[in-house]
Amino acid sequence: MIVAAALCPSPPLLATKLTGRADILPDLRTACTAATRHLLAATPDVIAVVGAAQETATWNPDGRLDLSAYAPLAGGHGKPGLPLALGIGALLLDEAGYAGPRILHAIDESASPADCLRLGRDLAAAAPRVALLAVGDGSTRRGPAAPGYLDERAIPFDDAVQQAVRVGDMVALGGLDPDLARDLMATGRAAWQVLAGAFTGARPATEITYAADPFGVAYLVATLT
Amino acid sequence: MLMGDVEPRPLRLGKKQFPPEQLLVMAIVNRTPDSFYRPGDTWDTGAALDRVHAAVAEGADILDVGGVPAKPGPEVTVAEEIRRVVPLVAAVRAAYPELVISVDTWRREPARAVCEAGADLLNDTWSAWDPLLANVAAEFDAGLVCSHVGTLTPRTRPFRPYFTDVMADVADRVLGLAERAVKAGVDPARIVIDPAHDFGKNTWHSLELTRRLGELTATGWPVLLSASRKDFVGETLGVPVEDRLAGTLAVTTVGAWLGVRIFRAHDVKATRQALDMVAAIRGDLPPARAVRGLA
Repeated sequence: MIVAAALCPSPPLLATKLTGRADILPDLRTACTAATRHLLAATPDVIAVVGAAQETATWNPDGRLDLSAYAPLAGGHGKPGLPLALGIGALLLDEAGYAGPRILHAIDESASPADCLRLGRDLAAAAPRVALLAVGDGSTRRGPAAPGYLDERAIPFDDAVQQAVRVGDMVALGGLDPDLARDLMATGRAAWQVLAGAFTGARPATEITYAADPFGVAYLVATLT
Repeated sequence: MLMGDVEPRPLRLGKKQFPPEQLLVMAIVNRTPDSFYRPGDTWDTGAALDRVHAAVAEGADILDVGGVPAKPGPEVTVAEEIRRVVPLVAAVRAAYPELVISVDTWRREPARAVCEAGADLLNDTWSAWDPLLANVAAEFDAGLVCSHVGTLTPRTRPFRPYFTDVMADVADRVLGLAERAVKAGVDPARIVIDPAHDFGKNTWHSLELTRRLGELTATGWPVLLSASRKDFVGETLGVPVEDRLAGTLAVTTVGAWLGVRIFRAHDVKATRQALDMVAAIRGDLPPARAVRGLA
């Protein structure tokens, strides 16, 4: 069963080696680290990281983000790099000092809500005490300066996600429209629905610790218990 | 190649040690009324000190103080040179205990006086015209720039210089001077070599030296590039001295790419930016801030 969960976004800039000499969004990094520690504090048997990628697959738990894909001189690690969301999740676990068992599970970014919910239920059943880190982002189209430019539907979409998380409404999360999410470049949709599946039938207590769009992408950090 | 590539030598100037990948800006501060660029700009002591403060704020690693212009002109006696330079060196040393201070001089008496006032490096632009300059550097554990001027005597202009191979001539001279300096007791880690663009050379020679700077840097000795707003830039681009910054920065960039470590400059801020850009391209300096495409 799920003993704790967290939501974190997946901008590459969370990897400090990629941002140069400046300290970029330290408050976001602090929130992500605290959310990851929330998982460790629940003393799970395993931490499952879920994030969207091109296809649904499990990845080697030793995998890491290949920073050289983003900054060629940053150096690789000699292993096949994880998809971004899983890589950021692995990085957050590393930074929190977690060395225990981990499951790295990618979910097809276009997976149906039903498939996402099913994966969530399966992950919850992976061990007596499972902690889940769902890694993904909200809309990328929140304004003219945003990476995805402006889509008027972006802010209502992100507000709905935030409200569902705030009140622990897993049914609402599970009901997010995949087509709308794709239009809004909201890469977190599938991972959030996996989270909703993991909490099937429950209404977790939640705390949102970061919700902002400093670069036009909606970042949401939250803990669930 | 003049000789096989060797590891870059350590560089110690004043109290500091500089790693090979660090690109250093040497800011020019003239205590002269008649230098070629902005003559008299920092003739006044107060103006010279203001220039020092600005250069430090803009990222200068080294100051190069000069009291005698390179070009021909009214005689500057030893006593006058000392009067011009020593008080400024002393004032800078008092204001910046760690800053590397170089003095552009070719005579042993001013050299000794500035070392006593706290100078760290003797920039012997006139290529050991005074053979005892190295001994002064050795005596004070100061650094020494070993340069090439062909057959010139101080404060003269080149007249029809020619070389079978200008880079070979330069390398022969500066490496020979470096060896002599070591024998005279100068700390090898405080020796810098300088091809001295424009000094005893025509524009073609200086362009050739720029193109082949890699041969000098491959010797391992730290190389100083002194090209700021010089005539070879002006002739190449057909522009007057006030319009030579872009050309200077191009020379600077090529030099940095080829391994030059010290850049003598009038325009500290622009030079600092050009060198930081090269350092980032090489992978030696991360960008100040990288967010584009990473959000």
